[in-house]
Amino acid sequence: MSQSVSRREFMNLLGATFGTGALIRLGSALSMMPAVAALSRPVLAAPAPGAGKVVVLGAGISGLTVAWELTKAGYDVTVLESSNRAGGRVMTVRSGDVVDEIGNRQVCEWDNEPHMYFNAGAARIPSTHRNLLSYCKELKVDLEVFINESKTAWVQDDAMLDGKPIRNAELSTNVRGFLGELFAKSFTSAQLDEPFTESESEAIMGLISQFGDLDEDMLYKGSSRAGYVSGGFIDHGVQKDMIAFKHFMKSRMLSLTFTANEGETGPMLMQPVGGMDRVPAGFTRALGDRVKYETPVMSVKVKESNVEVVYLRDGAPQTIVADYCFNCIPAHFMSGIEHNFPAEYVHAMKYIRRGEAMKAAFQAKERFWEKEEIYGGISWVNSPIRQLWYPSHGIHKDKGVILAAYDFGGGMNFTRMTQEQRIEMLLAQGEKVHPNYRQLVEKPITIAWHRMNHMLGCAARWGRSGGGMTMEEEALFATLQQPALGRHYLIGDQMSYHGAWQESAILSAHWALADMDQRVRSAAA
Amino acid sequence: MSKRNLAVGVVVWGALVSGNALAQSEAPDKDEYYNDRYCMTCHGADGMGSEGINAPRLAGMEEWYLKRQLENFRAGIRGTHEMDLQGREMRPMAMPLTDAGIADLLEWIGGWEYKPTEITLAGDASAGRSLYAACAACHGDAAQGNEALGAPALAGQNDWYLVTQLKNFKAGYRGSHADDKFGAQMVPMAGALADQAAIENVVSYINTLGR
Repeated sequence: MSQSVSRREFMNLLGATFGTGALIRLGSALSMMPAVAALSRPVLAAPAPGAGKVVVLGAGISGLTVAWELTKAGYDVTVLESSNRAGGRVMTVRSGDVVDEIGNRQVCEWDNEPHMYFNAGAARIPSTHRNLLSYCKELKVDLEVFINESKTAWVQDDAMLDGKPIRNAELSTNVRGFLGELFAKSFTSAQLDEPFTESESEAIMGLISQFGDLDEDMLYKGSSRAGYVSGGFIDHGVQKDMIAFKHFMKSRMLSLTFTANEGETGPMLMQPVGGMDRVPAGFTRALGDRVKYETPVMSVKVKESNVEVVYLRDGAPQTIVADYCFNCIPAHFMSGIEHNFPAEYVHAMKYIRRGEAMKAAFQAKERFWEKEEIYGGISWVNSPIRQLWYPSHGIHKDKGVILAAYDFGGGMNFTRMTQEQRIEMLLAQGEKVHPNYRQLVEKPITIAWHRMNHMLGCAARWGRSGGGMTMEEEALFATLQQPALGRHYLIGDQMSYHGAWQESAILSAHWALADMDQRVRSAAA
Repeated sequence: MSKRNLAVGVVVWGALVSGNALAQSEAPDKDEYYNDRYCMTCHGADGMGSEGINAPRLAGMEEWYLKRQLENFRAGIRGTHEMDLQGREMRPMAMPLTDAGIADLLEWIGGWEYKPTEITLAGDASAGRSLYAACAACHGDAAQGNEALGAPALAGQNDWYLVTQLKNFKAGYRGSHADDKFGAQMVPMAGALADQAAIENVVSYINTLGR
C-alpha cells in the first residue's frame, strides 16, 4: 500500500466499485430497480348486461390477476390453460411432481415432507412489491422471511485464492479494508476539492475508518468482522489474518459482496410458506372452475364486436366467444397459433426473444450447510452454476433441498446438455464450494425454461443491445401494449420493462384492466 | 385413435426413469397424461409452424419425409452439428421415440388441417426462378416433391425455414453426417447458391408456387 493512488484512479475505482452501471450488469436479478409500485388495482365498473364475457389465455400470474379482478367486478370469466397447472413460471417442485421438459422428462423423488420443495421459477418476494403482497394478504397466502444473504456463505472463484472458497464476510471485510485505506489516502491528499471544516473532516474520516475497520493510522490490518479463527467467547479470540487485496484482484466477483443484496434482492424478502406455487393456488382457490386446464389454444380471432377463441378439450376443438380477451401466452408461441392480429402488432410480437434461464436442485441427505454455520442465503460461484441457495425454511430438519444452480442469463450452457451432463456439471462445480458435495446430494432436478413444455422460454427478452430498451424497442413495446383491435390484450411480465418478477405481471394486468374499463365506461356513456 | 388410448410415451420413458419413479408418474392425482404428442408446443396449432420457436410447418408434409427426419434426428444423423442450433433443439425430442411412437405421431400429424403459410420474404422471385431450375430436377417444377428421389415438397413450407435449411446445407451444418445420404446431395446444391440474396430469391420463387 505504499504506492500512491491518483485522484483519477481513485474516482475510477469508486465508479467501478459502486457505479450503478456496474451493478446493473450483474445479472437479471439486479437488472433494474424500479420505484416502488403504487397499489394499482383499478376500480372496475360492472359490465353492461350481456357484455361481460371475458376469456383469459394462460393461467400465469397476470392471467389469474385479470380473472380474479374481473370476477369480483361481475364479469363472466373463463381461463384457458394449456398445461395441467396454474402459475406458469411460478412453479414449485415436490415429491412425485413431473418436470415436463420436452425430451427430458423428470420425476421428483424427494422425501415427501412439507419443507422438501424447490421454487423452480419465481422464488423471492421483495417487500416493495406491494401489489403482489396485497394479493397474498387477500388470498390468504401465508408468507415467511426469505434469507437472501448469508455472510457465512461462500464465494468461490478459480481466479482468486487458488480457487479456494472464502466466506462472504471474510472477503467483503478485506475488500472493504482495502477500499477504506484508499478512501482515507485520497481524502487526506485531495479533500475531494471540497472545503470541509475540521469537524466535518473528522466525521468523514471516522466514517471511512468505520467502513474499512481501519486502525488509528487509517490502515487496514485485518478485522474481527472477517470472523475468528478460534475463541472469542470465554477466552481471547484469535482474529483471522488479513488477506491482501492483490489476492482477490483477478476476481470479477468482488462487487457482488456489496451489491447482491441491494435493491430488489435486498432485505426484506419473503416467500410463501410451503412453496411459491401457493400464490397461484390462492388465485385458483378463489376462481374455482373458471380455470380450465389442458385446454391449448388453437386460434384467436378478434372481430368487430367480440373475440373468438378456439381451443382443444380432450383433443376436440371448442369455441368460446367473449367480449374481451386477455392473453398471457408467451409471445413466441403466438406465431404458432392462428390469429388475425394487425401486422404492426405481429411485428412487435415477433421481436421478443425467449429467455434462457435455468435452475437446478438436489435433495441433500443432510443439511451439511448448517454444519458450516450457514442458514439460508447464497454462495456465489464463478462458473456456470453461479449460485448455491440454502433453504431459509426447514431449519434443523434432517434433510433439505439445495438449489444447485441458477444460471440467470445464457442458460443455454446447461440447456443444450443431456441430463447426465448437466448433473455432472452441477456436482463438479458444487464441490468446489463444498468438498464432499457429491456424496451429500442426490436426486437432481433441472429446470431449463427454454425447453419446458407449455413455456419454451424464461422471461421475455425485449432488449437486444445489452443495456435497457432502445427507443425502437420502446416503440414496439408501446404498440404491443395497446389492445389489438381494441379487444385483445397481451399481458404478463413479457409486457413490462422489468421481466421475471410477479409484480411486473400483476402491473401489466392492472394496466390492461384499467384500459378495458375505460373502454367499457366510455361505451356505456 | 383417441389421445387417451396411447401408452407409447409411458413405455418410452420407462427406460429412462426408475420403476418407482414410473409408478409416481402414473399417480392419478397428477392428472396429466403423458405421451409423445408434444409437437404442437413448438410447431404450432395443427403444426402450422411457429417462427417464434423457429419450428417449421409439419401439416401437409409427406409422411415418408417426416418419418425419415424423425429417424435421422433420433439416430443423430441430423441435429448433432454444433452450429445447427434449431436441429439441436429438435434432437432431444426425437431421441426417446420408439418406432411405434413415430408411427403414432405420423398418424396424428396426418390428420392436421393444412392452411396456407404466411409469406415473410421479399426476395426477387423472378431471379429466383432461374435458380430454381436446378432444384426442380428433384423437387419438381411445382416444388411438389418426389418420393422416388427422396425429395420433399417445398411449396407450402415456411419460407424462413427453407432459408435456414439452405444456409445450413451450404455451410455443412446439415447434410455432412456420413449417413445422411439425401442431405449430402443437398450440400453441393445449396453451395451453388452464391449468397444470402440468392437463397432468399429462390425461396421467394418457391413462395409463388403456392399450395
